[in-house]
Amino acid sequence: MSTDEPSSTAEKHGHEHHEVEGPGYPTPAAMRTESEREKTAFVIALRVGMDVDGSDFIGVVDLDPESDTYSELVDTVEMPNKGDELHHFGWNSCSSSCHTEGLMRDHLIVPGQRSSRIHILDAEDPRNMEIEKVIEPEEIFEYDLSAPHTVHCVPGGKVVISMLGDANGELPGGFLQLDQSDFSIDGHWEADRGDMEMNYDYWYQPRHNVMISTEWAAPKTYYPGFDLDDVEEGKYGDSIHIWDWENKEHQQTLNFGEEGQIPLEIRMPHDPEETQGYVGAALSSNILRFWEESDGVWEWEKVIDVESREHPDWDMPVPGLVTDIVLSLDDQYLFFSNWLHGDMRMYDVSDFGNPRLVDRIWTGGNFADRQEIQGTEIRGAPQMLQLSRDGKRIYWTTSLFSSWDNQFYPEIGEKGSLMMKADVYPDEGRMELDEDFLVDFGDAPGGPARAHEIRWPGGDCTSDVWQ
Amino acid sequence: MHRVTLEWRDGREATVEVAEGETVIDATERDGLGVPYGCLHGACATCTGRLLDGDLVHVERANGLKPRHRQAGYVLLCIAEPRSDCRIEVGAEVQADLVPNPWK
Repeated sequence: MSTDEPSSTAEKHGHEHHEVEGPGYPTPAAMRTESEREKTAFVIALRVGMDVDGSDFIGVVDLDPESDTYSELVDTVEMPNKGDELHHFGWNSCSSSCHTEGLMRDHLIVPGQRSSRIHILDAEDPRNMEIEKVIEPEEIFEYDLSAPHTVHCVPGGKVVISMLGDANGELPGGFLQLDQSDFSIDGHWEADRGDMEMNYDYWYQPRHNVMISTEWAAPKTYYPGFDLDDVEEGKYGDSIHIWDWENKEHQQTLNFGEEGQIPLEIRMPHDPEETQGYVGAALSSNILRFWEESDGVWEWEKVIDVESREHPDWDMPVPGLVTDIVLSLDDQYLFFSNWLHGDMRMYDVSDFGNPRLVDRIWTGGNFADRQEIQGTEIRGAPQMLQLSRDGKRIYWTTSLFSSWDNQFYPEIGEKGSLMMKADVYPDEGRMELDEDFLVDFGDAPGGPARAHEIRWPGGDCTSDVWQ
Repeated sequence: MHRVTLEWRDGREATVEVAEGETVIDATERDGLGVPYGCLHGACATCTGRLLDGDLVHVERANGLKPRHRQAGYVLLCIAEPRSDCRIEVGAEVQADLVPNPWK
């Protein structure tokens, strides 16, 4: 199946419990081995917090090395309003919908973090996307929710979006559910929020009836910028939450304390049999593993600790700030970014409880030797990651969040950020920066932009969940 | 109607007429002046400006500002209405002043 075609019923599904054919791939291995190389990237790009009078957009980047426009921004889909802060986005359907006949992976759900506006894009033709529907903020606020973040398609014809705040940008937030057929709002996903007071990212394993959510802070806390006073006052998260996926009820809180401050991105293995996973704690700069014991109680441990580093010109040791993590489709390698330090690391996690650092790439940031590529200044550092389905190419962007960029890498706000790439050699356990690949969002039509999350047509390592 | 003079740090200046019951951002958008904004309800502080002169009131709660910011004259222009002619420092750099890099 071609990478850029919307995955659909056309594919033959092999596993025996399928009675119908739906979008996605029957297994993670099928997605890894049967799909073609990615040819197009959708990249969130935004103008929020910049002196650029323009809207945020979805950038379309040519990833086909045979193309004359390889490594170029070939199209932009401008949002109809300014001020959205597009951040993360997701598909209307994925491999978790593969039991549902008639669905296609052909619509992107693109929320605005600051505006709380949700855009639905028809992406059937990835080089010619169109905005099909816009859910306005007022419709979201009616459910006392704001600040949409993680979008997952889920079984049962629904899309669930984690929401970080209430209608005023205060705690606790919750989860918004959309109908997959017409993208109308169903209401809150959760039936009982329990003691979940903060929200951010989430992952689910339907075979084990579990969903796990993480914590950032109240939108009014993180929106204006990062303030250590807020950490000391307990306004930032340090816990993750275990949910009963079927009953939509909160079951357990894992409190990490100092070891897990600001637990952002969460990844569970693509193997749907697994009942463990990793979460990256940005401020503590740790990778924490969590798992389910035989009695159904979840436990955790720290498995990777990024040491803070002294900067010769700064007052305090600087944490790595682990802002994104990604697992390869065969669950063999974990990658994560240290946005303040400037490195992107690759760990062999075939022994899941004992990750082994195999390689890292230093570009940009506050500590890397490499501060330019192709003569272009690296503005920011490795941040949002996306791995190719075959695990052989990893791409990243360098912007985190408009106000946090302006605080830590102000040059991003003035000149835009970058998208970069490394070739990965999984058999050898190493990576190599591809110096021929660079997308400078400073040159975007209409003025510089910040590049953020990356997705492939046809699905990727962070959008698909298997039943 | 009040005359609001906007000053950017690069030396640019513009004046916009703000009607009764109109926020500064509504007026700057009407005139295409490109002052940054985000949530439009006082939570995110993307539209932060610094009041240099005049009388400006927040018509909703300015959740995105801390007491120290308000004391220093910072205002959220998406929920701010002038009550007199004003001068306001605007631009993305003003927002960035709210919270410095704590490690530096």
